[in-house]
Amino acid sequence: MQSRFYASLLLISALILLAFVSYAGLRELNPEWKTYQKEYKRLFFNNAVTPDMKKKAAEYTVGIRQIYIKDLNRVDRCDNCHVGVENPLMAKEKVPYRQHSGTYLKDHPVTKFGCTICHLGQGNATNKKEAHAEGHDTYWDYPILPLKHIQSSCTQCHNMDFLSKHGADVIIEGEKLFNEKGCKGCHKLSGNGGVLGKALDGVGSQPIHYFPMRYVEGERTQPSWLKQHFEDPRKVVPESVMKVKLTPEEADKLTTYILSIRTYDPPKIYRRINEEPIVAKDGHALYNMYCVACHEDGKLSAFDENLKGTIPAIENPAFLMNADDRFIEMVVKEGRKGTPMTSWQLSSAGLTDEEIKKIVSYVALQRGHESSKPVSVNLKTGDKDAGKEIFNVRCALCHGEKGQGGLGLNLANQIIKKADDQYLFKTIRDGRATTPMPPFGSTGLGLTDQQIVNVISYIKAF
Amino acid sequence: MIVNKKPSLQCISYILIMVFSLLIFSIAAAEEGALKAPQDDGKNAVSVDVKKDVQDAGNNEAQLTLGKKLFGERCVVCHGASGNGKGPAGVIKVMEKSGRVLEIHPRDLTSGTFKFRTVSTGCLPLDEDLLRTITDGILKSFMPDAKVLKLDERKALVAYVKTFSPRFTAEEPCKQIAAKMPKWVGSKDSIVKGEALYKKMKCPDCHGNDGSGNGPKSNDIVDDWGNKILPFNFRTGNLKRGSTPDNVYLTFTTGLDGSGMPSYEDSLKDEERWNLVSFTLKLMNKAEYLK
Repeated sequence: MQSRFYASLLLISALILLAFVSYAGLRELNPEWKTYQKEYKRLFFNNAVTPDMKKKAAEYTVGIRQIYIKDLNRVDRCDNCHVGVENPLMAKEKVPYRQHSGTYLKDHPVTKFGCTICHLGQGNATNKKEAHAEGHDTYWDYPILPLKHIQSSCTQCHNMDFLSKHGADVIIEGEKLFNEKGCKGCHKLSGNGGVLGKALDGVGSQPIHYFPMRYVEGERTQPSWLKQHFEDPRKVVPESVMKVKLTPEEADKLTTYILSIRTYDPPKIYRRINEEPIVAKDGHALYNMYCVACHEDGKLSAFDENLKGTIPAIENPAFLMNADDRFIEMVVKEGRKGTPMTSWQLSSAGLTDEEIKKIVSYVALQRGHESSKPVSVNLKTGDKDAGKEIFNVRCALCHGEKGQGGLGLNLANQIIKKADDQYLFKTIRDGRATTPMPPFGSTGLGLTDQQIVNVISYIKAF
Repeated sequence: MIVNKKPSLQCISYILIMVFSLLIFSIAAAEEGALKAPQDDGKNAVSVDVKKDVQDAGNNEAQLTLGKKLFGERCVVCHGASGNGKGPAGVIKVMEKSGRVLEIHPRDLTSGTFKFRTVSTGCLPLDEDLLRTITDGILKSFMPDAKVLKLDERKALVAYVKTFSPRFTAEEPCKQIAAKMPKWVGSKDSIVKGEALYKKMKCPDCHGNDGSGNGPKSNDIVDDWGNKILPFNFRTGNLKRGSTPDNVYLTFTTGLDGSGMPSYEDSLKDEERWNLVSFTLKLMNKAEYLK
């Protein structure tokens, strides 16, 4: 009894094994690409009109193919499935049989460029899933680039000037957005830019695992992450303090541009980048590039819930009336420690003195003609202790007991120490119109000039 | 022998397991108690304190003088010397996380209209309501707390604030509303009922379907003084009076007088208001109050 039971068990197992082996064998004999190539051959033959063509189609042999490009050190096997990319007869067929769109292959012959240099994906793979490398289970860092972002590959060899003349509108507009939305106010790129966000060098080549995908909706790829980050920064990174929000169309364009910031440079013989003459940017352009993300148009003084501090209205005439160019330049150069305002000089955020001067003169354009009357302030007569008493009652509610800031600006930093006494005096005496800073002078909340001097002595000692 | 030994071993192990689980249970219970205890103590202490002291407070001359002095130091900047809310600081602007710009107008104390009360809509706030606001400040609005002041000083401020509006001498105080939270608040069932009420009472008109304060009417709301106001965004931030279930309940029950937020004391039953509390706690993602 027992021996018969085991014998039948053995038989069944053997049959199952045989079934698996034959299934595996059949699958190997009939891979995905073979089906496509057979179908391609049929379509080719049907579409051929001249006998010559028919002959060519009939002679087409189904078999594994690859493009090896020595200079790029790439092996692309995409044409095993996308077999008709160079065949004009396949112009109207469906993907993957279809001919490559446009005239790109005329200028970029497949034998010289291959496919993955522009389209990304895993060139060595011979099935769709692994070649397109979408999804984390394919273990490939660079999934195939969605076609709407394909222009991000052009910048590897072409400069923007060339691209603008050859219809690469998406990336051109993406770059414009990048410059006008103030991305570099927080993100460094090529050595200049702010420090609140991550540096963007090579971000287009960052592997997929670099991006935290937890909150990303839909496909979990670099482009999805970037797009959703631009539409609503806090959706993908809950702790983000980024202020900018883009429409879906803008976000797509900016994503294309950001994806073009890569670390890989093709060999010199491929590159068509001429040294572009560097066009010096004017004050307005520089303001848009570095300041606009936080200060916007410079007219709104509002407490920002993300940055947890008030962003001052730097084009407020009441501010410009008392602050001279020298002071504004010092603030831009040195930043304001204890606030998100970073130091913009060459050694930190990478702006040259000339660029900073241009930004300052742009901001100062809003200054009215009338200047405030000079006052004589003698700090030597200031009594710090008396100042402290007034500060704790009158100023600390907004500026913090230790001057650390809150609704009011941070006062415990070098800028205040270096600031002109007159500037501080007038600010306290007259307040700052259009902001919550009230006039504390004798015509306002009733501090005497001496009391104001005492307060200045105290805040300069923070 | 063997037969006897086995059950006794089992017995011992059962007893041991029971003792251990009891021990763990009691430790857990003790910890929970320890966590809760100080909160309860604090609350009770404050309310008992407040009631007793506020009752004692008389409107004597010295108190008003002290109140006036403190008001001049701390409050005038925003509320103005005449208490009309037009102090030299003016309007405070806040950019929310979502990008909306809120305009905060300091309260006009001469109107006798106050948002944060524990009495029915239209009633004057009780002394302890004013004292609570002065002591704790108002979140998000830059009304600072006054915890550095002594209780006497804060009471003096309450007395002085009450002199701005004639209503405080003309009207009788109303009966206080106590929030007694039922146990089921925050349960799934209650949240579902609350969501239905949220839609039925047309909350989405102002607060939006997802509670982000962007409903179709959200741009047209003005307060009693004609200033533009924005409906609360449940998705970012906390309620100005604090986001505990009791505070949410009181907001629904008393309304926020002067703003567009009405009282639902008459239009919704007590139970319904608590269901609405459950749903809004869900919108605010207050996991600690949800079951």
